[in-house]
Amino acid sequence: MEDGKILLEVKDLEVVYQTDESTVHAVNHIDFSLKERETIGLVGETGAGKTTTALTIMRLLPERTGRILDGSVLFRGENLLDKSEAEMRHVRGADISIIFQDPMTALNPAITVGNQVLESLEIHNVEKKSKQELEKRVDALFNLVGIPAERKKEYPHQFSGGMKQRIVIAIALACQPALLIADEPTTALDVTIQAQVLKLMENLKEELGTSMIMITHDLGVVAETCDKVAVMYAGEIVEYGTTEDIFTGEAHHPYTTGLFNAIPNLDEKAERLHPIDGLMPDPTNLPEGCKFSPRCPYCTEECRSRTPYRYEKNGHRIFCNRFEKEG
Amino acid sequence: MANLVETVDLKKYFKVGKGRYLHAVDGVNLEISEGKTLGVVGESGCGKSTLGRLVMGLLPATSGQINFEGQDIVTCSRGEFKKVRQKIQMIFQDPYSSLNPRMSIYELIAEPLIVNKVYHDKADILKRVYELMDTVGLAERYINSYPHELDGGRRQRIGVARALALNPKFIVCDEPVSALDVSIQAQILNLLMDMQRDLGLTYMFITHNLAVVKHISDTIMVMYLGQCVESAPADELFANPKHPYTQALLDSILKPVLGTNKDRKLIRGEVTSPINPAVGCRFAKRCEHCRPECMEREINLVDLGGDHKVACTMCGG
Repeated sequence: MEDGKILLEVKDLEVVYQTDESTVHAVNHIDFSLKERETIGLVGETGAGKTTTALTIMRLLPERTGRILDGSVLFRGENLLDKSEAEMRHVRGADISIIFQDPMTALNPAITVGNQVLESLEIHNVEKKSKQELEKRVDALFNLVGIPAERKKEYPHQFSGGMKQRIVIAIALACQPALLIADEPTTALDVTIQAQVLKLMENLKEELGTSMIMITHDLGVVAETCDKVAVMYAGEIVEYGTTEDIFTGEAHHPYTTGLFNAIPNLDEKAERLHPIDGLMPDPTNLPEGCKFSPRCPYCTEECRSRTPYRYEKNGHRIFCNRFEKEG
Repeated sequence: MANLVETVDLKKYFKVGKGRYLHAVDGVNLEISEGKTLGVVGESGCGKSTLGRLVMGLLPATSGQINFEGQDIVTCSRGEFKKVRQKIQMIFQDPYSSLNPRMSIYELIAEPLIVNKVYHDKADILKRVYELMDTVGLAERYINSYPHELDGGRRQRIGVARALALNPKFIVCDEPVSALDVSIQAQILNLLMDMQRDLGLTYMFITHNLAVVKHISDTIMVMYLGQCVESAPADELFANPKHPYTQALLDSILKPVLGTNKDRKLIRGEVTSPINPAVGCRFAKRCEHCRPECMEREINLVDLGGDHKVACTMCGG
C-alpha cells in the first residue's frame, strides 16, 4: 500500500445511548485510522456499533440520548468532537459525506432529484458560483453516476432502487468530499444492481481520490472494495488488519472465524452450516472480560475475568487471549 | 418419484389500469418431488413471491393449474381446498412484521391448531405447543413472552413452529433468512434442513441469495420477469449455467474470497417493466447475445437433458 497522509484517526472512542431505564454501550473504546485514498471496512452484525461509529464521526448522534464519553475523532488533525454545530455544518457534505442504507427513504419524495443534488452545492457554495454554474455541475454529476441529465426534473418515485442509490451517491459526492462514509450502500439492492453500484463507487473513488469507510455485514462486499478491515463485535473492534490479513492471514479472532464459517460456501458442498452458538450480548448489560466469551468455543476462565490481550503482528491486531503467548 | 406439487402454465396478471396488465407470473411450469427442495431465485419484481403466494392459494391464479398430490387446487371447491390447505404452509420473510405483537408465543403457535379445530382439549393444545417449541429449539420459558421480547432468530423460529403446527407436507419459505444476521441465518437454515430430514418435508425456497439457494436446494429455478428462464439441479446450474441472465447473476455474486472476481461482466441496464410486456425474450434488452430472432417470438423452455431446461434462442429455445 502506498504511503498516504493520515486523513482520519479515531482514538479510544466510547459512545453510549442514555435512556431513563438503561445505558446502551454502543461503542466501547475503538481505535482505527484511515489514510488518504484508502478504504476501510467496518464489518459486523446488527448491534455491533458500526452505524453508531459512523454517526459519531458525522456528529449526527441523536441529541437526547447519544453521548460521547471518551476519545477523539481527528480529521486532518482537527478533533471533530470539539467543533461547534455551525462549524460541523461546513464539514458535513463538503469534507465528509455519508450514504445511507436505504435509498428509498434517504431522498425527499416531494423535491425533484436535481434540486436535491443542487441543495448540497448551494449550501457549500464557498466560491459564490452562479446558479447556472451550479446547474452545470448538477448535470455533470448525473452523467458521472450514469443517469441522463434530462431526468433531473423527475421525482424519486420515478426511479428504480438502483437509480435512487446512484442519486444518493451523486448528492454525497457533489462537493468532492475527502471522506465518504457508506453505510450498507448496497444491502437494499439486488445482486446485479449491487455489482453495478459497487463498480461505480470504485471508479468514482479512483477518479476523485476519496477515502471511504465502508460499513457492511457482507464479507463479499469487503473482499471487493476494502484495503483495511475492522471486525466489530458488541461495540469493540475484535480484529483489525489489511484485507489480506483478514481473508488469508493465519491467525484470527474466533468471531471472525465464526463469521466466515456461517456463510454457505459456493465452491464446496457442506451438509450443515456452522453457526456461531448463542446470541449477541445485551448492550445494556455486557459481559465482563471478553465480550465474545459466552459464545466462544475457546473460552477460558481468564477470558471471563479480564479484558483480552492485544496481539499484534505487522499491524494485524487481534484482541484475544489465545494469541498472547505467540505474540 | 411422484411429484408432490406441480404447476401447469400458471399465470397471474394484475390489472393496473385500463387494458394494462402486470404479468407477475407468466406461464410457469414447475415440479417438486416429495422430500425435495426447489429453490426459486431472481431479483425483486421477478414474480417469485407471487409464485409462492399462488402455490399457497393466497392469491387466485389467472389461469393454469396447481396440482397438489394430483388434485388441482385452482378449480377445487372451498371445502376441498380447506383440507388441502392444512398440508401447505408458509414461512414469511420478516419475523418482525409477520407476527401479531399483541399475541404471546403460546397464542401464536396455538392459533393454527385452534382455527383448524385439531384438538378439543386445552391440555392437548398446550402439549402440542411445547412439542413444537422443542422441535424448533425455543426454550420452554418463552411460552408467555411476546414477540418484541425476542430477537430476530427466535422470532423466525416461532414462524417456523406456526408453519409446522398442522403437520404439513409442503412448506413455502419466502425469503426466510434475508432479514437475519449471518450467524443467525445459519442456525435457521440448519433447522430447516434438519426438519426436512426428520419430517420428510418438501420445500419451495424463495430467495435472492444465491449462496443460500445453492446450499439448501436440490433443484433451482431462475426467474426473470415472471418467467422461468432456466431450471436445473443445483450443482449443474452453478457449474454450467446456460442462459445469459443466469450467467450474469452468478457472475455478480460477491464471494468472500480475495482477488477472485475483479473482472466481472455486468449486465447493462435494469429490469424492464412487467406491464404488458412485448413478445419475445424478456431479457433481450439487457442481453449481449441478443439477436433479431429473440424479439420475434416467445421462447420455449428446452430440455437439454439431465433435467436442465433453458429458455434461450442460443440453446434452441
